[in-house]
Amino acid sequence: MNLLEIVFEKLKTIFEAKFSNSFNNNRISLFNFSKNSTSLFEIRGGNRLSLDLTHANPEEKKQVKEKIIDYATQIEKEAFLVNPSLITIKKVKENLPDEAEQKLLEFYKDKLTPEMYTALEASIVVRNAFKRKEDIKELKQSIAKKHPSWGNNLCNMVSEGYFDDYFKNLYLNMFKDESFDIRAYQRNVESTVKSLPFTVFVTKYKSYEELSGEVRFKLSNLKKYGTGKLLIHGIGYENIITTQKLGEEYKSEVTDIKIDINQSKTIITSTLTF
Amino acid sequence: MKLSILSFDESAKEQILDLYGKTIDEEGYIVETDNPKQRVLTPKGEEILFEEWAGVHKGSEAFIKSDIFSLIELAKRLE
Repeated sequence: MNLLEIVFEKLKTIFEAKFSNSFNNNRISLFNFSKNSTSLFEIRGGNRLSLDLTHANPEEKKQVKEKIIDYATQIEKEAFLVNPSLITIKKVKENLPDEAEQKLLEFYKDKLTPEMYTALEASIVVRNAFKRKEDIKELKQSIAKKHPSWGNNLCNMVSEGYFDDYFKNLYLNMFKDESFDIRAYQRNVESTVKSLPFTVFVTKYKSYEELSGEVRFKLSNLKKYGTGKLLIHGIGYENIITTQKLGEEYKSEVTDIKIDINQSKTIITSTLTF
Repeated sequence: MKLSILSFDESAKEQILDLYGKTIDEEGYIVETDNPKQRVLTPKGEEILFEEWAGVHKGSEAFIKSDIFSLIELAKRLE
């Protein structure tokens, strides 16, 4: 006898004459119907048997808990969830990190703060759901709600691949410094994620013209609405040269340019103030 | 672990909590009915707002929150 059959047998025992055999083979949902309804059982959504607990007496409720819910959760080790979460967890399960993404997470596990690491994992789930054209609003909001100052930015940066490449290279280059401290890396990641709206990342995947256009576009917007600064990040010799070249190009449009380069001369942050 | 063929609607959440001997305090957190000062915690020790409550696994031992972080942990354990 499968669990569904067992549950129906138990329902028959608890509710006797109130239960009809025609209810068999439906999923089961516990429900409160409208106040006008007097039904204990109702078929909803085609194949879902709904049981309205407001029409069950205290002894029947006790038996539903002990004979059905506890049986499912304790004996059958099942998760008993509210319907919206039941839908969400199915979506989450389908979009859990694949093997390659697991390897990426393994790289970051002992490097990011635990909060940032779990948010990275969640953002990968969001990215996977987005790739499958699923609605990601609720999942993304959940990350932003827990981490208001950086959750949304992190989600966007994961979707754009910054954790596949940029932050990995940042770690590998910072690690070369004699004075390397993992907390400095964690601070760098967090501040970079927080500053996403006023940041340009120099990478080999973008041409100089594209990068220059991005700097021009962000400078223009930030002068109207922004914080008065734009950060340009680069890792590696060629990207350092490109970052410096961008600073040269836009120096007449800003009031100050501050350049920070690490000890090994592999990481640059150029801060344009205006 | 599996997802149950049993589920409950938002409209029945309070009734289900009642079956577990829990209720909601003035601030919206789930508490023990017979000791309303004692808030129910997730296995990670987090208090649970009624609106964030997703359900139960392992009997009454584990109340689950509905945020993505809690659901990922649960989803990893599903068959």
